Amino acid sequence: MATLELVDLAKRFSKKVWGVRKMDLDVNEKEFIVLLGPSGCGKTTTMRMVAGLEEVTRGTIHLDGKDITDIPPRDRGISMVFQNYAIWPHMTVFDNIAFSLKLKKMPKAEIRQRVQETADMVKIGELLKRLPGQLSGGQQQRVALARALAVKPKLFLMDEPLSNLDAKLRVVMRTELKAIHQQTEATSIFVTHDQSEAMSMADRIVIMKDGEIIQIGTPDDVYFRSANMFVAGFIGTPPTNFFNIRCSVDGEEISLKHSNFKLVLPLKDFSELDAYNGKELVVGVRPEDIAVDSSDKALFTNKVLVVEPQGSHQVVALKLNDAIVKTIVSADQSVKPGDSIGFNFNLKRLHFFNMETENRIKTASEI
Amino acid sequence: MNSALQRQLRRSAKRTSLYIVLVGILFIIIFPIFFLFSFSFMSDYETYSEWPKPLVPSFKADFKIDKDTEGYHLYIFNKSENDFMPFGPLFFSNSEKDVSNLRKFIKLQANSKITDQKIEEYLRIVDKESKVEFSVRKDLLANYILFFQVINGAARAVLNSLMVAGATVVIALTIGGMGGYAFARYFFKGKNLLKLSVLFVRMFPAVSLAIPMVIILARMGLYDRPLGLSLVYSVGQISMSIWITASVFMSIPISLEEAAMIFGTTRVGAFWHVTLPLALPGLAACAMYSFIGSWNEVIAAVVLTQFNPTFPVVVYKALVGSQGQINLITAGSVAQAVPAIIFTLIIRKYIIQMWGGVKV
Repeated sequence: MATLELVDLAKRFSKKVWGVRKMDLDVNEKEFIVLLGPSGCGKTTTMRMVAGLEEVTRGTIHLDGKDITDIPPRDRGISMVFQNYAIWPHMTVFDNIAFSLKLKKMPKAEIRQRVQETADMVKIGELLKRLPGQLSGGQQQRVALARALAVKPKLFLMDEPLSNLDAKLRVVMRTELKAIHQQTEATSIFVTHDQSEAMSMADRIVIMKDGEIIQIGTPDDVYFRSANMFVAGFIGTPPTNFFNIRCSVDGEEISLKHSNFKLVLPLKDFSELDAYNGKELVVGVRPEDIAVDSSDKALFTNKVLVVEPQGSHQVVALKLNDAIVKTIVSADQSVKPGDSIGFNFNLKRLHFFNMETENRIKTASEI
Repeated sequence: MNSALQRQLRRSAKRTSLYIVLVGILFIIIFPIFFLFSFSFMSDYETYSEWPKPLVPSFKADFKIDKDTEGYHLYIFNKSENDFMPFGPLFFSNSEKDVSNLRKFIKLQANSKITDQKIEEYLRIVDKESKVEFSVRKDLLANYILFFQVINGAARAVLNSLMVAGATVVIALTIGGMGGYAFARYFFKGKNLLKLSVLFVRMFPAVSLAIPMVIILARMGLYDRPLGLSLVYSVGQISMSIWITASVFMSIPISLEEAAMIFGTTRVGAFWHVTLPLALPGLAACAMYSFIGSWNEVIAAVVLTQFNPTFPVVVYKALVGSQGQINLITAGSVAQAVPAIIFTLIIRKYIIQMWGGVKV
């Protein structure tokens, strides 16, 4: 129910160490934003600056148009879920959730009602009298969540809240968090390094690296229109396969030569590649866009190195020159290591990147 | 099969010899302490007239009175002789004065309380049956009571010690706690060097600093006063408290404070609502540590007090100046050791936390 605006935000820890180099971000009302990136990319630092736990070196933070850069955390109208939950071990679950309400001098009856309400929302309504030490990790997580929700914040911050849970619980909580967000409609920022978490929850994903934003976009944007090779390699499991190719334009056709295959594309769909005539570029192909093709039209044939069954599908790894190429093959196809199999690319889903800048080359064929 | 048996034998031999060594070490450590306690409950007669010394103090004394032409004779049962031995005056009559003296003698030498009427009663039995044997319950705490009666200013000294230790705890915990919090929570240049340097004050033995300490305290008008002594103790205890409280605070995740700040408190409020309650056991342990430290200290106290000594000084002087009466001195020593022992037992649960490792 609030908008957040980060303008030229930066954090410098010491002379040479930057937490965040430059951050410009507009968060819309009710939006669920996920900050995604490898560890040390500055996503947590950004969140801590928004929370007011970290001083800002440069730039401003606006919440609902109001500059909150220098006001203390308690006056910002935010709440936060910490990675290690940070629920207070000496207080009961009730006291944990009621803490902020008591400080606001809310009437007792109202506190009791609000606490019960939020506790029920995260399904810990029966645990209010317990101490955190008597709860499981998942329940502690829910207490942290309830505590943050009870405030009815303008902005809801979550710092890798699911990373301490076991894999199964994580997926359950993911769904619940999304449902809670839809119910409360609080503007949310969620920090994670788990790209599948980001993909499944975010309205928009902010991909960060080395303290800078690499790409902001919907899950579809970052997946199908990755801004550069870093994003393409970071998003998706297994990640995008990259092939170095030489491009040559020949009349109405573009031919892309790789040491193992030659790809011929119509120039009218890929006219942007015209500029790379005679140059090298990188083509990225997602594993699911490499299909088994047993006909003689196969682009290339190669021996299977490893097969990793996943149940619903199987990941087949090939060794192409010195690079490992991973493809996703449906579960009903029987593939064994050592088999020689033909493969073809889904030409509509090719990603082209400039070799030097590693940035995306936009083509007309993009969906 | 054979080798398995051999291995087992070797293992049990190893373990047995280890236990023998451990028991030996334990014996060396425990026995003197046990002996100290044991002696503090013994009467003069037990202490000096029996050999081998009894390990455990007796709870009663056995007497015999008989009679011949000179008058009555008192005997006491001696465990090492396994017989009644003459005790007290060579002979005595049943006059009021003699009976009263006998009662005092029995109380002083055998720590046993008996009334004049009771003695007269026994004497009447002797008159009838020529002898009587009786036992009197021993007053176990007699040495302790006597110590405080005999040694001049012992009770005052306990009060002094309490004041000194209390003031030391307050000073050390306030200043040390604040320092410890800063070391635990903030980063600043030269932090590690500074933290190490607070231990420097503990490097110098108190004796080597005695003269400057006396002069400075005298100038401050604090010589021979509990506050002055507690200031001196605080120097050492503050540095200890800084280290202990720093690790206590470090063991409390900073995110707990941050959460409090986000949910409506100031930094100070977060400390009061969250950090302090969680650190309390560790801080209490730290306080008791300081308490024990200053309660037991002798050397600086000897130098810096004159008419208002602390209790350890009194015990020390009693020990040095005593001619015999070991059982009395041991009572003083035990009285001095007991608070420290009790406090150590109380904090033993938190000693681990004192050096980090709060369970959250």
